[in-house]
Amino acid sequence: MATEQRLRHAEPVMGTVFSFDLPATAAPVLPAVLRWLHWVDATFSTYRADSDVSRFGRGEAGLADCAPELAEVIGECAVLSERSGGYFTDRPGGRFDPSGLVKGWSIEHAATMLTALGHLSLSVNGAGDVQCAGEPEPGRPWRIGIADPLRPGTLATVVAGRDFAVATSGTAERGPHIINPHTGRPATELASVTVVGPRVASADAYATAAFAMGPKARDWVEHLDGYEAFAVTPDGARWQTTGFAAYAAS
Amino acid sequence: MRRAVLAFGSTVAGLILLLSFRSHSGTAASAGVGAAGSGSGSSASAAGSGSSGGSSGSMSGSGATAPASPSAPAVSAAPGSKVVTGDVINSPYGPSQVAVTLTGNKITKVTVLQHTDDGMNSQEIDGNALPKLTAETLTAQSAKIDAVSGASYTSAGYIKSLQSALDKA
Repeated sequence: MATEQRLRHAEPVMGTVFSFDLPATAAPVLPAVLRWLHWVDATFSTYRADSDVSRFGRGEAGLADCAPELAEVIGECAVLSERSGGYFTDRPGGRFDPSGLVKGWSIEHAATMLTALGHLSLSVNGAGDVQCAGEPEPGRPWRIGIADPLRPGTLATVVAGRDFAVATSGTAERGPHIINPHTGRPATELASVTVVGPRVASADAYATAAFAMGPKARDWVEHLDGYEAFAVTPDGARWQTTGFAAYAAS
Repeated sequence: MRRAVLAFGSTVAGLILLLSFRSHSGTAASAGVGAAGSGSGSSASAAGSGSSGGSSGSMSGSGATAPASPSAPAVSAAPGSKVVTGDVINSPYGPSQVAVTLTGNKITKVTVLQHTDDGMNSQEIDGNALPKLTAETLTAQSAKIDAVSGASYTSAGYIKSLQSALDKA
């Protein structure tokens, strides 16, 4: 039986890199997906004064003047904010910034575009948050390593799954950049937290919220339907929610 | 494969240094070392939780490998396992050499081929050292992963990331 050929592609966009692992047969449609990601960058970037997000944030444009996707993103932010007791927010520090959702949301949309076109085996990694579909090769699940935040270049653990997402929040590259919205101060109780579940947009937002809430994260994710968590604390210890073991790679 | 062997070699060297700074009994050493039983060629049992069933990652293991030093006794490996023999290290306490058996990405057995003979019990050392060594070798290569999830990186950070190494493979 011939092994299906794979295509790997790394695309710099949104200030980071999106990594694709696809069947080679997806090559003709990949450019359209990449163009869409660059459109998301132009529309949602808080670093561009003329993006819809910036104009809306300044009050210069209403929702009706912006891309309809902006309303979709704001709606999702509201749901996730409510589910996380406000620890996930599109108003960090009082300024409108939905970037915390946009990244996961765009990874998920990119993956959905590809699966909708019949490319059912894929992995899309946007800056460390991964959406997987199907199997990388017949008979085995995707194996996703979780970086050890305290020992760069090594892994803390490995998870495995087929149609699932893995999103990690932590301090690694940029230092303590995640602010606890309720205290206004950087969250420092966890070195990293990884959320695993069906959709990367939710997993990404939940990971951000979990990281911001620190010690309360474990109980909170335990009560979240469909999502599990694994965390590394600054002293190197680990904890995980009860259902996380189902994702442990053998 | 060479990179994995080199990373592995430094782990083996670490174990040797650990052994060489303790004295252990000359006669008991090869019998006592290795929780799974040493030198008997018995099939390797996976230490700790789980095992990457059948897959041997980048260390393409298939059956026994003769050790590098012709004077060292052979350590036979069960199918699917690979034996890596460290260089002889001459410590202040005498020569030391170990062979480590890998099954997939886990160290399943450590066999002392040559040992110092200062009289201390090496069994105690290996019981403690073995699980730590196994944990230290969890790298992107040895774990045979498809992608890495970690804290958000920028384009500059990506270049140094494990994910970029996977994308180039």
